Formats: sequence, C-alpha cells, structure tokens
Amino acid sequence: MLAFTILKAATAAAPRLGRLALPGKKIIDTPCFIGNTSRGVVPHLSPDNLHAKTSLGGVYLALEDFIEKSPEAVPPIFQTPSLNNASPLTSYCGLPHDILTILGARRTPPVPCAKANTNTAVSILTSVGFRQVDATDYAAAVQRLKPDIAVGLADIMYDKGQISSKRIDKMGDRTGAWTRTLIQYCQDDDGEKGSLPHIFAPILPIESQLQSYYINQLLDDDLKHQVSGFTVYDAESLLHIPQELSALPRLALSEPNGPTKLLLEISLGVDIFTVPFIGTATDAGIALDFEFPPPSQVNGNSPKPLGTDGWLDEHAADTSPLAPSCECYSCRNHHRAFLHHLLSAREMLAWVLLQIHNHRILDQFFAGVRKSIAKDTFEEDKAAFEKYYEPELRDTTGQGPRVRGYQFKSEGRGEPKKNPKAYGRLDDAREKFAEGVLPSPNADAEDLERAGMGSVVL
Amino acid sequence: MEQMRMPSALKYELLAKCSTTKARTAILHLPHGPVQLPMFMPVATQASLKGLTPDQLESTGCRLCLNNTYHLGLKPGQATLDAIGGAHKLQSWPHNILTDSGGFQMVSLLKLAKVTEEGVRFLSPHDGSPMLLTPEHSISLQNSIGSDIIMQLDDVIATTSPDLARMEEAMYRSVRWLDRCIAAHKMPESQNLFCIIQGGLDLNLRKECCKEMVARDTPGIAIGGLSGGEAKESYCKVVDTCTSLLPENKPRYVMGIGYPADLLVSVALGADMFDCVWPTRTARFGNAIVPSGMLNLRHASNANSFIPIDDTCGCPACKPKEEGGLGLTRAFIHHIAGKETAAAHILSMHNVWYLLNLMKNARQAILDDRFPEFLRGFFKQLYTDNGKSVERWAVDALKGVGVDLEDMAEPTASATSTIDGEAE
Repeated sequence: MLAFTILKAATAAAPRLGRLALPGKKIIDTPCFIGNTSRGVVPHLSPDNLHAKTSLGGVYLALEDFIEKSPEAVPPIFQTPSLNNASPLTSYCGLPHDILTILGARRTPPVPCAKANTNTAVSILTSVGFRQVDATDYAAAVQRLKPDIAVGLADIMYDKGQISSKRIDKMGDRTGAWTRTLIQYCQDDDGEKGSLPHIFAPILPIESQLQSYYINQLLDDDLKHQVSGFTVYDAESLLHIPQELSALPRLALSEPNGPTKLLLEISLGVDIFTVPFIGTATDAGIALDFEFPPPSQVNGNSPKPLGTDGWLDEHAADTSPLAPSCECYSCRNHHRAFLHHLLSAREMLAWVLLQIHNHRILDQFFAGVRKSIAKDTFEEDKAAFEKYYEPELRDTTGQGPRVRGYQFKSEGRGEPKKNPKAYGRLDDAREKFAEGVLPSPNADAEDLERAGMGSVVL
Repeated sequence: MEQMRMPSALKYELLAKCSTTKARTAILHLPHGPVQLPMFMPVATQASLKGLTPDQLESTGCRLCLNNTYHLGLKPGQATLDAIGGAHKLQSWPHNILTDSGGFQMVSLLKLAKVTEEGVRFLSPHDGSPMLLTPEHSISLQNSIGSDIIMQLDDVIATTSPDLARMEEAMYRSVRWLDRCIAAHKMPESQNLFCIIQGGLDLNLRKECCKEMVARDTPGIAIGGLSGGEAKESYCKVVDTCTSLLPENKPRYVMGIGYPADLLVSVALGADMFDCVWPTRTARFGNAIVPSGMLNLRHASNANSFIPIDDTCGCPACKPKEEGGLGLTRAFIHHIAGKETAAAHILSMHNVWYLLNLMKNARQAILDDRFPEFLRGFFKQLYTDNGKSVERWAVDALKGVGVDLEDMAEPTASATSTIDGEAE
C-alpha cells in the first residue's frame, strides 16, 4: 500500500507537508527530492557512494535507459532473476532495497525526439538511437520491472513551441488511453494492487479545459482508485488536479533552473522533485552553496551567488570546504584546492565530490523547507531567500565531463564537436612544423597561422 | 667512492623467508603507518585514483599509493603544493604516498624531451615553453609533495634500445644523478629516497650499477627501466641478478609491474614492491581482472550474465548484498561500462582489490612456507584450468628459484615449431 499522509494541510501561506511510506522502504518526508539517474546510476556515484555518502530516499529511472535493442532482442533487465518477489529494477541496478524507485519512460529532462509520438507509441532516445515504445509494451515493462511507482505515459512534444488545437486534443486522448492501459496491466485479476507498481497519472502541461476530458476520466470509478498520485511537467499544471484527488502525492518532472524556481514550485504544491540542476551544476564544476531559510545576518547590498565555481583559480590554494559549515563527505574530508586541482586535471573524482556535495546541499535545503512550512514561515523565508541569493545559477568557466550520445540531440550538419580533443596537442604542432618550410619575412600572417604558428607559443 | 650515510625514515622488519624461492615477507614501517611486503601499489597519478574517493581506496586495503611528480609538478604546481602543505593534505590521504621522480613521464609522454647531463629538457605541454627537470628540481618537488618514499631522477631509456654505449652512459649518469639527489634531499628524516638501478638488459651493467648504488646506502632500492616491452626472459634475469646483489635488510621495488603472473614471479625472484597503472587503466576500458585472466565487461556476452565479476572475490562490488557488499552483476556493469563513469569506479575498485588481495595471499603463503604450492595453484587457475599451458618464461624463471612447473608448461620452443600455425 502506498501511504501518503498529509501531515499539515496547505494554507494560503504555505504548501503542505506530507509523508510517503511504502513497506520496506525509507520513509520520505515531503516536499523532497529524489535522485535523478542515468542508466540506473546517479551520475558519478557508484552504488556504494550513493548508499554511504548521500541520504537519498528514492531515485527516478527511465525505461529508455534500459531497452535500447528491443524489440529485436529482449532487454537484459527483463531477464534479471529476482528473489522473493523483489523488484528486478532494483536488483538489476544494484540499488539498496530500501530505496524507493520511480520509473518513467523518458529521462528527465528528456532529449526531444526526431519522430512524433503516434496514437499507440511514444518516441524515446536510447543509447543506440531513437525508437518508439508502444504503450502496451511500456505497461508490460512496468508490470515486469515492479518499480514502486510508475509514471504514466504522457503525450508531450518536448521541442515544440506552438501546438495546434487539433494536436492538443490528441494529447489528452492519447494520454488518457495510455493511462488506462497502464492501469490495466498494473492490477491483479481481482482488481487488487498486490505488490504491483503504483501509478502516478500524468497531468499535461496544457490548459485545464483542453485536457478536461482526460482528467475527468481519472474520476471514473474504475480509475479513481487505481491512481496513486500525479506527475506534472510544470508546476502550474497542479491546478488542474481535481479537488477530489488533491490528497494524492505529486511528482514534478520539471526543470527548475535553480532553488528560487524550486521554491516557487514547492509553493504551488509539488511534493516530490527530481531537480536536474544538481547534475547540471556538478558537471559544470559548481559547488552549490545556499541554505533555506537564508542566513539571518545582513548580506551587504548584492545578492549572494548560489554556488562556487570550482574552476576559478582563486581556489587553487584554498583549504576551506566547498561550502562553509556543510557536513557532506566532500566538505568534511576535502577542500576547494583539491577540487580545483581535480577539475583542472579533469580527474573523475572532481565530479564525484561535487555530486556528493550538491546532493547534500539540496537535502538540507528541503529539510529547511519542511521546517519552515511546519513553523508557518515559508512565504516569509521564501521572500528572504529571493532577496539574499542571486535568482539563477551562474554559468561555469570550465568544461564538464565528456558528453555522451544519449545526453543530447544532434542539430544536424556542421555541428561543432561536443567533446574537445584530449590528446596530441604538441604532436599536432610538431607535425605542422615539420611540414612547413621557413616563411619569408614578407609572408602573410594568415598563411603562417595556417602553418601552425598561431597555435604554439615557444 | 666514499661511503655516504644517510638517515632513513623507514624500518624493514623481516617476518619470513620462503625456504625454496627468494621470496620474503616483511613489515615496512613508513612515516604514515606500516605496510606489508610484498605489496602492489596502485597509481593515483594526479592525486586521485581514477574516480575513487580516499575512502573507497582505503576499502580496497590500500595503505600506500603512488602519485606522479611530473603531473603534480604541472598541476597543481610546486607553489600550490607548498601552500597546501603537500600531497597528503591535497588529497586527504592519511596513509603513505610514493612519488616517482618524473623522469619516466618525461621520456614516455613527451616526444620532444631531450636528456643532457644537466637534466631532462622538454617543452611544457601547457604552453610549449622550454623547461628543464634536474635531479635537484625533482627532489625539491618531491620534498614539496611530502611523499613517504621519493625516487631519484634517473636517465631512463627503453630496455629494448640496441645502443649499448647509450645504455652505459645512462647507467653511470643515473649514479651521478643519485649523488645529486642525495645532496639535494632536504628531508631525509621524513622522506625515504630510493635509488633506481639502471643498465638495461645488460647484466654486467646492472651488476655494476647495483654495486655503485648499494654503496650510497639509500633506505630502499628500486630496479628501473624495465616493463618497457622487453622479453619476459630478459626481465626475469635482470630482476634475479639484481636481487642477488642487493642487501637483505632493504625493500626492493620493481617499477611498472602489475600483471598478476609478473607480480608473483617477481616476488619469487626476491622483489618486494610493485606499481602499475594497468589495473585502473584496464578498468576504464571495461576490463576486470579475475583468477582465470581477464573479463571484458563491454563484451555483449555479459549483457545477460547475472553473476558477479568473480564469485570468490571479496571486493565491495562483488561481495553479495547479504555480506555488506554491492552484489553487482556483470550484466549491470556491462550496461554502464563506457557510458557512465561509475562503471570505471566499480572496476577500478575491483581490480585494485584483486591485486592487493593476491599479494596478501602471497604474503600468507610465504609466512606459512607454502609459497611454491601457492604459485602452482595460481598458475593452475590462470592457465591449465583454461586449457592453456604456462608460458615458458615463467616456468624457466621459477625453475631458477626451485619451483618446478614443467608439467604445466607449454612444450619447449623446438617442439612447438611444427605446430606454430595452430598456436595462435
């Protein structure tokens, strides 16, 4: 049974506090965030680090990360032997058994697909390219993999700005049909849940009246008791959730660009987040540094940045922790100078330490949010936060780790390389020198540059 | 040659010697705690072991790892190292560190390096400006790094070089550079300087070098210039020759060795310490070391293999969940290998654990005076159990120290000549 208890109801001044409890899983207090995985791991964290160095209560996983070659071949994850009715998803990924798993079709944020969804299938991006997955196949996969929670398929066009009204009609119709399919697969013959996944029905990021037909279906008797929560793709769509079902938990697969936006979405009533900007900051070499409520002392005139750029040379010999008073493994054991060294040496450990740290900062942030709600000071604290900190994360000055094919969409011809060349700089220069003859004093500067003179300083 | 006495910051405490081979086991007391010999040392080139946190490295059982002077000298640089207070503080590693001199990287990484009596001239890989690494600068850098064991700058040339005159020059130059290193070493009470025996594959040069360097009485002795593509037979002869000439009461370090079979044969030949980037590098290529050889987890055959990398392995990745490990399957590592950095972390942990455990088992076997049986068991798993025969060089090297593996060996060279085509 998915027990979601509302500990403190939402008021005009503050969102609600809740508690999500599943048998055998860590109890999760909401509002909260869960880990955002790539191919079954939180990027840069091996499962031992995930377990020992973070306090994540749950993770979000995407089916598109696991089914690249099907239907030609049965994906290995479906072959996972599972003992005692354990979730094959948890077993396959080596996740701790007390971690809550939420399975969706697409990564978050998803890479827009080349091909549009059809009436029966959604487009996904696997590590070997784009393909489509049937709504029935998705439902069967959910049934088989037994995540604790499954997100219903939503017909969303991720890269379209303006959508025609005809297309919008289809969005609701398809999402409704797919949700019904998923629910059919995830109930036992007698209509009981058993140990089957709980369904979080999607709410589309379109206006309420445009999806009212779909949402009204959710109130039908045969569906009402089968939906255990909602998934939204932007926090504004929370308003479309029918009053009758407002006690159900709400997961946001949104893309807040920083804690300020996160606070806004919390105030709108999201219970569970995936917070993709943690990973973005980590890859950018930024050690997040903010707390909620913000420090009470006056902060001078200018707002404080939300993180520290580890690439900056000013950290080269700085033995202070990534963020003052942070209790994470990275801050207790390492310092900015080491992080700066690791980043400039492009050592993998840099991103490991950042990922541990950034998760801890969000962990404390949400703990602060929950306390603030409990004390009825949320709106006040939120205003203070917006005043104390800069509105958005700053851009990085360095490079992230290598980008993988499944993390971006190619824009077509003439695209620059996603990853800079790592080796052979000196060799290149030498070869160019060897090829060239000594230039005459009247040589054109551009010719010299082409011969390799511009790229090497001797 | 006048006798130079230098202080030592280590204590070599012999525990047992194998009654058959030249293997020995000892405790080496170093400034950051004792370590057990013989041992393998993983290489944390740029002050981090390829994505592993110091906690994870500790969990593999490692208490002495390498840093590379050349890399740390470029990044973060000597001034920063001085400001932070050395490499231990830089990487928050509470155990021992060994640094090489930087000479090997100069010649192996930089095609534009040139060795002169003064030192190694090279172009900075950052901006192409000319730089010079002298013995004095190398030691000064290693003093700033603060490693527990530091290495002299030596003149390294490929053992396969046919130029004997250059080889001899390099050997004598290494001796002269050792004197300059000893003179430049500012912290002999807290850092142990090891000399490096050079001389290529010429046993007479090696003998001469041993004599000269042993006279300098450094706290420990390394055998260098090997592991550069020479025939294994020649390698074994050099190690065997050198260990016979080296004092009993000092640790012997053979540089750049990491394959399991090489490690154990070298232990049998009387060597104590080894380092190699191979276990962590091969991990990044998706390979795991197992008793029967290597397992490439990127190979599609692992996609549906729901067993651990090695079910006899006690590393955090292989150990079952019920015993506090992660119980990861080959299938899952295949799923993330080459796609997520976590795969490299997991395999690095496994490979380092494997080699450290292999050495641990070897130490116990020496203590129990059953090292020859241990060797037999090891080679049986690696070769005969897979239908292969033990390579000739290993059989011959071990025969030289009283271990007979002839029954597991490949037929002698003359016998194979007729079936050469099939051997591949």
